[in-house]
Amino acid sequence: MGELGKLHQLIIPVFGHNITINLEVVVMTWIVFALLIILGLFASYKRKILPRPIQTLGELIVSMLYGLTEDALGKELAKTYAPLICALFMFLLVSNWLGIIPHLEEPTKDLNTTLGLGIMGFFIAHYAGIRSKGFKAYIKEYFQPIFFMMPLNLIGEVAKIVSISFRLFGNIMGGSIIILVVSYLTYSLVLPPFLYGFFALFVGTIQAFVFTMLTVVYISVQVK
Amino acid sequence: MGFEVETVIKIAAYTGGGIAMGLGAVGAAIGEGYTAARANIAISRNPEISGDIFKSMLVGQAVAESASIFALVIAILLLFMDAATPSLLKAAAFLGAGLSMGFGAIGSGIGSGYPGGEACFGISQQPAADSQLTTNMLIGSAVCQTPAIFSMVVALMLIFIDFGNAPLTPTWAAFIGAGLSMGLAAIGSGYGGGLAAGASCEGISRSPQSVTNVTTIMLVGQAVSQTPSIFGLLISFILMFKSFPESSMLATPMALLGAGLCMGFGGIGPGIGNGMAAEGAVRWVARNVEHSNELMRIMLVGQAVSQSTAIYAMVVSLVLIFVV
Amino acid sequence: MAIEGAEIVKAAAFIGAGLSMGLGAIGPGVGEGMVAAKACEAIGRNPKEAGLLTRTMLVGQAVSESTGIYSLVVALLLLFVV
Repeated sequence: MGELGKLHQLIIPVFGHNITINLEVVVMTWIVFALLIILGLFASYKRKILPRPIQTLGELIVSMLYGLTEDALGKELAKTYAPLICALFMFLLVSNWLGIIPHLEEPTKDLNTTLGLGIMGFFIAHYAGIRSKGFKAYIKEYFQPIFFMMPLNLIGEVAKIVSISFRLFGNIMGGSIIILVVSYLTYSLVLPPFLYGFFALFVGTIQAFVFTMLTVVYISVQVK
Repeated sequence: MGFEVETVIKIAAYTGGGIAMGLGAVGAAIGEGYTAARANIAISRNPEISGDIFKSMLVGQAVAESASIFALVIAILLLFMDAATPSLLKAAAFLGAGLSMGFGAIGSGIGSGYPGGEACFGISQQPAADSQLTTNMLIGSAVCQTPAIFSMVVALMLIFIDFGNAPLTPTWAAFIGAGLSMGLAAIGSGYGGGLAAGASCEGISRSPQSVTNVTTIMLVGQAVSQTPSIFGLLISFILMFKSFPESSMLATPMALLGAGLCMGFGGIGPGIGNGMAAEGAVRWVARNVEHSNELMRIMLVGQAVSQSTAIYAMVVSLVLIFVV
Repeated sequence: MAIEGAEIVKAAAFIGAGLSMGLGAIGPGVGEGMVAAKACEAIGRNPKEAGLLTRTMLVGQAVSESTGIYSLVVALLLLFVV
């Protein structure tokens, strides 16, 4: 049970401070990138009017996510932000599913990954808000509806980042902990794959969708 | 007392882990039960689309499960982590972490059940709005879990941060107070957020074209009703990070414990009340979209007034921490 | 107090296990009861669909049970492993 806390880390001393890189998580992220790029290349290689199965899959995913973005953002903005949303969803989906392959672990099990994605979403949403409304109107939003709500509004924005990152982290980490503990307690062959199916596939898909949808909704709230 | 430090730490860790998981399981189960109950009624009204309703029910229950998964993570960490620097202070920190996560998961668990239930019922009334209802249900119950996430953050901080050479008294009371403050205050906000999300799903099922307005006012209402849990989080942080001078009187640790209890309990009522206000506003925006601006204004004013007791509680907590 | 350190740890583990399973049983109890009540009402409104409704009720109750199972797992860990 001690392996709960072990993590391979690479510590580089730079100018007196230590830069810690979690080696496992970074390698897993590269594997996810490689899988996604291969999938993308296969789907768009020699596009035909009568599509092959992989091309259909790619078109299905893109059209579903494009429709979601359009619903929330409207047609023009959707063109700018839909590629980002598609990429975010696919990355999260494949990351959450990576745990099924033996010896590989989900990169979203580390708080750094999810927090990074959350902060990226935050900056994009606010950049979109400033670009569409102008700087003055953006600052004035913080003072609505009463003057002294400003610190609370600021804290609310930070709370949004914290909540979406920790939600994804907690769910994925919790799933893998349950699987570890149950495999340790029982000697069954049937139970662990079933659990993997529920936690990694089902919950992973839902949480990836929730993260993506919340990012879209936050962008749309800022540009209104 | 004759006990070793390691022993006391283990005692506190196991008790804290038990509390965290025990209390944390309560809320999510009740919430999921509510979802399943409404789904049953929905299927009896409209048996042909039972497949869709069933799917939505499972998805909604999976999201409501998250609150208890957080509690499980904290419980397992408490059971199996060895403290890096053993000290009696760590024992208090572990107990505080268990309290924080345990109480914090109750409200969010129950609250996350409402949008799931209302979405299932709405699909039976308005099958064409299926995808919008499911999306809204996911967004609403995900945002409703924010107070449980704050509780998990406080619990993780209490477990992992090394507090160094802070004196034992009165800092032990500060840590337990921090756990209580965050945990209890999250009950009300979680439940209130759930009320708002449930009303939004019901509203969308009545008039699907008002989706954007309903979602916006739901998010705003939920954000404001999470303010009491943010107050609880603030008091938690102050209790954790302020350095207290060593004192051997009984009054000082009791003051810190009282500050935690005060903000904790004080956050429950305003959280639920703000949630009710948001619920009413969301419900009527769906029926009356043209007046959504006035409704939002009245909701915000009403919520600000009903948060006044939470502000009083925060003031008393701050007085207990800084002045006494 | 001449109580051994290891004894007290065991005692605390038992108390933790008790709290975990005891409190953890509240939620699934209430939740599943709600499901059953509404399922009865649903079947009362629409008796033809009794089979489908019973199936839905059982699945809903099973998912609600899962938090109770987490509590059981933690309680077992406290009893036998630590």
